[in-house]
Amino acid sequence: MIEINNLTCSYDKKTILKDINLSINSHISILGANGSGKSTLAKTICKLTNFSGEILINSKNTKEITAIEMAKNISYIPSKLEIYDAFISVEEFVLQGRFPYKKGFFDYSDDDKSITKQTLELLKLTHLKNNALSSLSSGEQQLTLIAQALTQQSKIIIFDEPTANLDPSNSKVIAQRIKSLKDYHQIILITHDLNLASFIQSDVVFIKDKSASFYEDNFFTNGNLAKLYGVEFEALAVKYD
Amino acid sequence: MIRFFVWLLLLAVLIISPFLGAVSLHVADILNPQNINNAIFFDIRLPRVLFAFFAGVILSLSGLLFQTLFRNALMTPYTLGISSGAVLGAGIAIKLGLGTLFFGIASISLFGFFGAVLTVFLLIYLAQFLKSSQQESLLLLGIALSLFYTSALMIVFYLGDTMQNDMLIRFTMGSLSIIGWQNPIILGIISLSLILVVYMYRYELQLLSISDTGASLKGVNTKQVTLKLLIISSLGIGTLVSISGPIGFVGLIVPHMVSKLYPSTVDKRILKTAIFGGFFLVFCDTIARTLQTQSELPIGIITALIGGPFFIYLIITKASR
Repeated sequence: MIEINNLTCSYDKKTILKDINLSINSHISILGANGSGKSTLAKTICKLTNFSGEILINSKNTKEITAIEMAKNISYIPSKLEIYDAFISVEEFVLQGRFPYKKGFFDYSDDDKSITKQTLELLKLTHLKNNALSSLSSGEQQLTLIAQALTQQSKIIIFDEPTANLDPSNSKVIAQRIKSLKDYHQIILITHDLNLASFIQSDVVFIKDKSASFYEDNFFTNGNLAKLYGVEFEALAVKYD
Repeated sequence: MIRFFVWLLLLAVLIISPFLGAVSLHVADILNPQNINNAIFFDIRLPRVLFAFFAGVILSLSGLLFQTLFRNALMTPYTLGISSGAVLGAGIAIKLGLGTLFFGIASISLFGFFGAVLTVFLLIYLAQFLKSSQQESLLLLGIALSLFYTSALMIVFYLGDTMQNDMLIRFTMGSLSIIGWQNPIILGIISLSLILVVYMYRYELQLLSISDTGASLKGVNTKQVTLKLLIISSLGIGTLVSISGPIGFVGLIVPHMVSKLYPSTVDKRILKTAIFGGFFLVFCDTIARTLQTQSELPIGIITALIGGPFFIYLIITKASR
């Protein structure tokens, strides 16, 4: 559960988000135009950018908790993998999700390794486990990122535009995977993929003019969307279910 | 198979290295305490080989560390201007005629050490103004600093007399010629501590080698870890350069050679890089000592002759990927 109070965010002297107050108790999709501040909102929740105001995760102020505690509560999945190390394998990468649980300067435990193994099986990545992460396709990389977040075993998972770099069939795989995680995790989905947002069936936060509005229902109507995005809508989308 | 031969070659050189040089030594003479060759072996050759080995460990491990922390193949203490800082410090000491000792430490070494360490703190300070995605800018900062130092050094040259300039040129070219056991022991302690600390942070480094934000999202206090490792390796580099002068390219090429031999994540390459670096510098130093010239060649010339072409190869292959 996330509580956001009086959040203001600036970047290069430009205000991106102003006086945001939000209480996120269940699954949510954050929507908005390019540059509206969707990703900025997600990054402030994860303490990746500077902000004023306060953010509470499970009633703890994020400014006061350690990086390790943060990682146990929340994981963040970027839309695209940035990777300098060309050699790391899928298995090694997924195991890194266990870092917040690793003891001191020791190696990863057998527990950590078996959780990794189970996660790879769950996401049907076992046959790729020894492949270099950098050699995978975008769809496989996105699945590997999800696997890494799952081994992290955090309650909250943030997806930052998970389908942005994917073709329709890979988008479908990812969409169904995200939906299946709803039972055990609180999903925060940032996306331009309206079809995905409606498929996930969550509340919606729409960001426009630096502030956020909350929608419990009545968001996905052509009239409402046309008003918010300023373009006409017509159904032409992948069938996710 | 290639791995085996590379290690065998380096090991063989390490073993025969102390016997080679201006005077060839025979085992019988070495074991005879009355013979002058006994002193040459135990007081000059052996300490020098160990000094070269530990210098190689510090240079290559620092190179690996800088490349990993900044996720850039060209980052080394040398390319970031840290060695140039040491040279300028030493140059100033020579120009000021501070031949005397401070608490038993040569003033050239002391000034060289502070030149290197101050440069690191200057870089860390300047890096705050860069965005985390601008690693290239840090490299440019280092290059700008190097150029600035070189110009400042030119002024020192211009003002210096012939004897001072001769000393300075010798320092600039880098040299592993030392006598006695004090320096190898100091470097040995630094090398072992550096290996230990880097090994303790192996999994943090593995995460940092993917991305900085990724590492912090997994619970790594990236700023603190980066700062800690940078300061420790810079103290090592500062100490080394203050004794030996700058030895370029080792920190750049050894980590890349080891990653070609062992394509694996950084945590598995720490020890291999350190040992390979030690062997590699002994190898280069053996060449420098045995080439029959008027006097032995400065080590910096050998590493640069091998490293320069390798550097170009690295840039070309990276660009074409």
